Formats: sequence, C-alpha cells, structure tokens
Amino acid sequence: MLEIKNMIVHTKDNHKKIIDELSLTIKNGEIHAIMGPNGTGKSTLSKAIMGHPKYELIDGDILFNQESIISLDVDERAKKGIFLAMQDPTVVEGVSNSEFIKTATQEVTGNRINYFEFIKEIEDSVQKLNFPMDMIHRSLNKGFSGGEKKKNEILQIKMLKPKLIILDEIDSGLDVDSLKIVCDNIKEYLEENKDTSVLIITHYPRILEYLKPDYVHIMKDGTIKKTGDISLALETEKVGYHSINEVKESNIYE
Amino acid sequence: MNKIKIKDEIILSNHETREIYLFTKEDKSQVFRLNENSHLVVYHYNIDKNIEIEIYLDGEHAEVEYHFSTINYKNNSLTMQIYHNNKKTVSNVFNHGVNINNNSLSFQITGKVLKTSNGCTCNQENQIINLENGKSTILPNLLIDNYDVSSSHSAYIGRFKDDILFYLMSRGLDRRKSNELLVKGLLLNGGDPEQKEVVILQKEIENI
Repeated sequence: MLEIKNMIVHTKDNHKKIIDELSLTIKNGEIHAIMGPNGTGKSTLSKAIMGHPKYELIDGDILFNQESIISLDVDERAKKGIFLAMQDPTVVEGVSNSEFIKTATQEVTGNRINYFEFIKEIEDSVQKLNFPMDMIHRSLNKGFSGGEKKKNEILQIKMLKPKLIILDEIDSGLDVDSLKIVCDNIKEYLEENKDTSVLIITHYPRILEYLKPDYVHIMKDGTIKKTGDISLALETEKVGYHSINEVKESNIYE
Repeated sequence: MNKIKIKDEIILSNHETREIYLFTKEDKSQVFRLNENSHLVVYHYNIDKNIEIEIYLDGEHAEVEYHFSTINYKNNSLTMQIYHNNKKTVSNVFNHGVNINNNSLSFQITGKVLKTSNGCTCNQENQIINLENGKSTILPNLLIDNYDVSSSHSAYIGRFKDDILFYLMSRGLDRRKSNELLVKGLLLNGGDPEQKEVVILQKEIENI
C-alpha cells in the first residue's frame, strides 16, 4: 500500500530538516501508529505524504501501490486514495460543508453523483457520528467545536472512501464519548473496506486501545527509532520518550 | 476611470423593510436614502464595471446591510460612501472582489458619522482576491466625529491562503476547482441561490 524509502524532508522556506531518512512500509489492511514527542516531525510526515507545498522532499521516495507519488500534486494523491484527517481542520468560510463534500466526491470518483443516494448516505453517516444534521449546511468547519471538526473529518472519510487513512491526532480535543463514536465509525469503515490501511499519529494510547494497531512506531528526531506492538505504546506512556534510546531494540520494522 | 453617467436612486420610507438584489450591467452610480426605522438589505453583484454607491442613513434607527460582490477583468473601482446622518443608525457593509487578470481593482469605502449622530454602528469588511498578479487597492476610511460610536473596518488583499487550498486539494479538488469553490464562497455567500442575479454570477464564476 504505502512504502516510504529513506525520506528526507526540509521546510521550503528556511530549509530546516524535519524528517531524516525515515522508512516505513504499510501493507494492505494494516494499522500503524506513530507516537513521539512534540516537534519530532509526526505531522510533517503526514503532510509530506499528502504533498503539502510547504515541505520539500530532499531525498527518498514515497510509493503508493508500487507507484511513486512524489511528483503528484496534492489532489492527485487524494484521487489515488490517500486521505489526511487533519489535526486542526481548516475553516473555509462561505463554502458549505455539503457543497464541499459533494464536489469532493465527484472529483474523487470522476462521476456525477446520484443526489438521492448521496443524501441518503450522508444522512446515514451523520446519524452514526451523532453529528447535528445542520452542520452539513454550515460553512466548512466554521463555528464547529474541536470534536465536531474531527467528526467532520470522519464524515469525509466515509463519503470519499479512501484506501489509506492518515489520522493526525484525531483524538486530541475529543471527549471520551466522542472518541468512542469516532473510533467506532472508523472500525465500521475498516470492516466494510478490509484492504484500507491506517496510519495513526497520536500522543495517547487510548485511541490505540480502540483501533488496535498492528504496529506502533516511536518517532524521534525526524525518524523512527523503535517499533513494536501496542505494548510499546503503553510502556512509553509509563517511562516517557526520553528513555526511548535506552530501551533494548526489538523488532526493527521495515 | 470612466465617467459614470447612469444614476439610480432608491428611497425607503419610515418603517420600511426591503431586500434588494441588484446586478449592474454598466458603469453606474447608485444612491439609497433611508428614513426613520427603515431596514435595507442589498445583495449587489457586478462584473467588470465601475460602481459608485452613496447610502444616506437619514432617519433615526435606519439600518443598512450591504453585500457587494464583483468579478474584475479590466481596471475598475468601487466607491462607496455611507453617511450616518442621524442617531442610532447602523451600517454593515461587506465588499468582496475577485481580480482575475493583471489589471487593477480598487475599493474606496468611507463611513461618515456626524457629530450629532450618537449611538451609531458603522462597520465595513473588504476583501480582494487576486487570482493572478493584479494590482488591487482598498482604502477603508472611517470619518467619525462622535465618541459614542461602535465601528470596525478590515481589508484583505491577496490570494487564497495556502492552508485553505491544501485542505480542499487534499480532498481531491484540483487547483482550478478549489479556486472556483472559494470564489463562489466569497462572492455568493448569503445570497439566495434561486435569485437570477446570483445565478448569473455563479455561471460567470464557473467560466473563469
């Protein structure tokens, strides 16, 4: 599904190195989690995969279904099936949520949508997310609470049906009930789309207890330092990231 | 600037409430006079014309909400003057423009509050998006001769922000489609999509 090979990423404006020779392989249907201290490059990694123009790939490659995507524009990567659920989804005033999702669905599928099916599907998804129906008629993310913004990202996943989902701190700002609703909806989506892979970026093991990743990676200084299973996340929560280099190396994952 | 020859005047009588949709087809001067307790909402759409607008809030408690939206291809200007000639008058104006080519679009928006006009509200919000390398100017003026006034002004000239474009594109919209959606959001926001003036502007946006 996704293969990142020795990726080095700089910021475009001041050429600061953020990602340093990072490699990661995610196979079809796998769930991976990345944890790490603040400022270590986790969000940059997600944006670099998506092709954010603020970042420059200095070396390495990103393959998606065996095809290099580094020369593709952001929308072309999205059309291939990559979805980045953002940490702080952008407010777009004047563009209604429904108009945006409708347009995005048409662009991703390349087909004009069937309105009846679209409305039925969006109403069903909104209900499952316990999301007020009027939210889909408001300006995109405007006046949404932190939790509502995150649920809106999940709503878009359900409508756009990506093959690779990157969740960048989707759990931040969510209360326990909302986190459960978000995770239940992701799990339901994964049940229905077994080949879909997930990359979770988080600070907290709670979301991992819900989504049960196959691999947990600890990222530090712009690269993956250690890989394990969910026990690594629980262990890290106890001992902190500062001791990560002292932990005996186990399964280095490639 | 071309000399504007066509002048039109709309008068609201005491306690009258009116919502107006305008589409200007030529360079034009538009005057509004509002009497006591009258309430006017205007959605004014324009393509590539010079426009002068004068709003006289003559009666106490007169209120105007003005949404001006323009698409600019050549060199054009909007001049708007709002006169708070009586107490407790309210103006909220929203002027949005999209400058398509490398020409100039200028907004000169002036709110005037007299010394005798206590308790007024005088707000203006102005935005011009340059899709290419056009030269745009906004002069957001507030001439207020009274201490008992609530007032604000804002002006933005530039492109759509990178983070907004990234967000839209990350959902599969290419740059052209993203810009189209954002231009619609900027220029049509609030207007009734069933109105023919809105439909005309919407079609124009889709052809940019």
